[in-house]
Amino acid sequence: MEKEQVKTIRTVCPAHCGIDACGILAHVRENRVVKVEPAEFPNPKDRRICLRGLSSLDITYHPDRLKYPMKRIGARGEGKFQRISWDEALDTIAERFKGIAAKYGWPSIGWTLGGPGAGTTKFGAYLRLASLTGSTRVSAWGYGDAGLPCGSRVLFGSQFPYSFLMGSFLSGRSDPEIVVVWGSNPAESQPLNMMRRIMDAKEKGALLVVIDPRYTVTASKADQYLGVKPGTDTALALGIMHVIFQKGLQDVRFIKRHTVGPYLVRTDTGEFIRAKDLGAGDSEDYVVWDSASNSPKPRGASGVKPEITGAFTVNGLECKPAFQLLMDLAETYPPKHASEITGVPAQIIARLGERIGTAGSVTFVTHMGFTRTYHGDISLRALGTVAAVTGNVDAVFRGGHLPAVLNWRPFLHADSSRPSYSRLGILQLYDAIISSKPYPVKALWFSFINFLNQCADSSKIINEIFPKLEFIVAAELFMTPTARYADILLPVCTYLEFSDLIPFSYPYVQLQQKVIEPLYESRSDVKIAAGLAERLGFSEYFDGGEEGLIDLLLDSGHPSLGGITRENLKQGPMTLFRVPDTDQEIDIPFSTPSKKIELYSEALRKVGQALPVYLEPIETPLRPAGKKYPLAFIQGHSRFRTHSMFANVSSLLDMNPEPLVEINPQDAAQRNISDDVMVTVFNDRGKTTLKARVTEGVRPGVVNISQGWWIDQFEEGSVNHLTHAVINPVQEAIYEPNMHMNDVAVEVLGIP
Amino acid sequence: MKKRFGLVIDQERCIGCEACSVACMQENNSCAPLIRVKTENVDQQDTPEGRFPDLKMSFLPLLCNHCSHPPCVDVCPPGALAKREDGPVILDKEVCDGCEICIEACPFDAILYNPEKEKAEKCNLCVHRIDRGLEPFCVICCEGQAIHFGDLSDPDSEVSQILTKKEAILLENPEGVEPSVYYCPPRAPRGL
Repeated sequence: MEKEQVKTIRTVCPAHCGIDACGILAHVRENRVVKVEPAEFPNPKDRRICLRGLSSLDITYHPDRLKYPMKRIGARGEGKFQRISWDEALDTIAERFKGIAAKYGWPSIGWTLGGPGAGTTKFGAYLRLASLTGSTRVSAWGYGDAGLPCGSRVLFGSQFPYSFLMGSFLSGRSDPEIVVVWGSNPAESQPLNMMRRIMDAKEKGALLVVIDPRYTVTASKADQYLGVKPGTDTALALGIMHVIFQKGLQDVRFIKRHTVGPYLVRTDTGEFIRAKDLGAGDSEDYVVWDSASNSPKPRGASGVKPEITGAFTVNGLECKPAFQLLMDLAETYPPKHASEITGVPAQIIARLGERIGTAGSVTFVTHMGFTRTYHGDISLRALGTVAAVTGNVDAVFRGGHLPAVLNWRPFLHADSSRPSYSRLGILQLYDAIISSKPYPVKALWFSFINFLNQCADSSKIINEIFPKLEFIVAAELFMTPTARYADILLPVCTYLEFSDLIPFSYPYVQLQQKVIEPLYESRSDVKIAAGLAERLGFSEYFDGGEEGLIDLLLDSGHPSLGGITRENLKQGPMTLFRVPDTDQEIDIPFSTPSKKIELYSEALRKVGQALPVYLEPIETPLRPAGKKYPLAFIQGHSRFRTHSMFANVSSLLDMNPEPLVEINPQDAAQRNISDDVMVTVFNDRGKTTLKARVTEGVRPGVVNISQGWWIDQFEEGSVNHLTHAVINPVQEAIYEPNMHMNDVAVEVLGIP
Repeated sequence: MKKRFGLVIDQERCIGCEACSVACMQENNSCAPLIRVKTENVDQQDTPEGRFPDLKMSFLPLLCNHCSHPPCVDVCPPGALAKREDGPVILDKEVCDGCEICIEACPFDAILYNPEKEKAEKCNLCVHRIDRGLEPFCVICCEGQAIHFGDLSDPDSEVSQILTKKEAILLENPEGVEPSVYYCPPRAPRGL
């Protein structure tokens, strides 16, 4: 018999692994994908796939996939369900939503949307429905990813610091002399987009420095590894700055041009001096001390030569330039002191400060890991401040591609004649459900989120949150620990079964093309949202299905996207247009109140955080002696999973079969724990039982369990039975409250 | 000049991710990966040697070395193993009778036994791909871009070029076998 025709279709793996968005060439025979391989890119070096992407078919053709809609027939969590039709499922949901909305208002219905990865319309469809119904969007940044944007917003005025700290590095515009990877393990969590570039830079001669409590794969590539104590990164940054300032290695020109360093701050109130304080007019402009005239001048005054150090008196007000205040703070962190706090040897801190201060260019590579501590937002600010005072922030735009700015308004606010959705951070949702503050939430929809598995304080979720919910819907691929608690369970498609727009990875835009028809009765998220919209009276907003929503996004009018259409994306990735198409230098206007890098934040003076002050972690035991829970518990990320995705893939389980708690030999010996024995990790909130891995790869005093294992894969409990849901009010005010997964104290005991 | 296909594996760029192993199993439908990644000098995968924080860890992908004079070929009773003109040492599964003698003979422990099929299995350097002008599947799936494929006899090939620029070694091997897989060892940390 003649061999059946195999055709290839280019699509994109949108897994939630940063923004790698690997192009995938799917080989299809009839309606079955028989192989996936890395697809070509305009630049051949960008061709890529990872071990999870290679396992795509193990997800699509997994025997445990949910195959049809179901309703719960047992107790919540018991996992007993009965097959129903899509009509019955969607009718039930529409009816229950309407009933709950009539009783408590539409905001009592919360769309809990987790990480859609690089996908856009599957996320946008639910937002559109939330917007049209005026219900609640539960933002999932707070499940570990809110600390970094919070700090970045204070310092740079933007949600993400990446383009400032490593923009020129990522675009290939510069080859750094030093790469500092701080609190992140890109070799496992961002191997393609980030680690390849780090290794390229190292091959070209860059010195690689890695700062992490764990000796990670990334650390194994380092020229210098700093095994810092969790949650003490700000003290390390201040120690580094101490050395830089003492040796006069700061970049004065950069500080004057791009930061609030020269602006005078009243030493009594911490407020910036304003032009109106000079006694004339009512201008709110910032004021500097002009060295030429030896007098205060508004920042923009012509010919002004601002001082960045010293102490001055303006109209009877004692004041100092903001940079002087930063120097005063760093003065109190000599390397020896910083060493006592961080556990990094003083001479290493001193030498690193010198190297950063004298290097031509330094790229700081960072991500969320070290910001998952109670004051993680300040840690990010401290790191960014080291970069700013040494002129290592990309503050000048020299032409090139701007990231695709899609117009999300059709999703965020679908009907401008009426109010859109309310927004709650995920930890604020806890309060809304438990104590109806700021308003009651009674029903939740889960999509792209394994809520119970991945959110802090599992016992609280099981005992206080789920019982208070009148209705739970989960759109899922598998019977996850969260899905077991759903009242209605809807089977969704894998990425090979529907189309989506992928505006990544920079500088490309790609089309995730449907490769096969949906298996079983599974439906795409867009189709699910459309089905519900029809029952709620909003069907016209979902005309055209996935394609219609993709076109809505492409039709944003952004010049970077000019000429990019769904049709031409079918041929392959398209490169963003250079906007502006110029090689002229433009100072990047920062979106902070001052339009400059705010190494001093006036708004935070009232909480004592105007400068990147070192504040101790909330729970991490830095002085463990005599403590009930003397070990710091952290959760690294594993290459075998993307959060809790891929945890049930047998080919990956063959290589990495079960959760392990990594413990240093010193701590293991004190507890009579040897390799491979079962141990219990516990604190007042809960416990988990699993195998021990005794390894030098984790700092003494620290234990690590990689996150993402499903609750049922532990002998007992899980990582989040140990974590806490304490809200940091500063983060809540600036961005949204973060979960502090890496700021937890535990004890570990062997099981007799 | 006669082609001699081989690999240069840059350990400095190997991040031990095992994507090569996953890729290999899928491409070759083998019972286990025909390329596997060992963490050097330790028994436990992904574990450093030394004492915190003075640690060291490197990864070593192991596979058939496609020897110029492969001992496995000489010992195979039914003649299922062959050395191709252009370099790859290939196993004809149709001919293999599962006697396992080749497994004993291989100095690199690179031949597996598939208990289900009762036959040997080994890396064929993806000859089904290289005959179509494609690179072996592990090469295009390598996350770190650490595995390089090419003609070792062609001085202009990428692999030959790397060998002129970087220090490279062969795995310890018996005299005369002449492996075709080169390893560039990881660079020692330079410190601050």
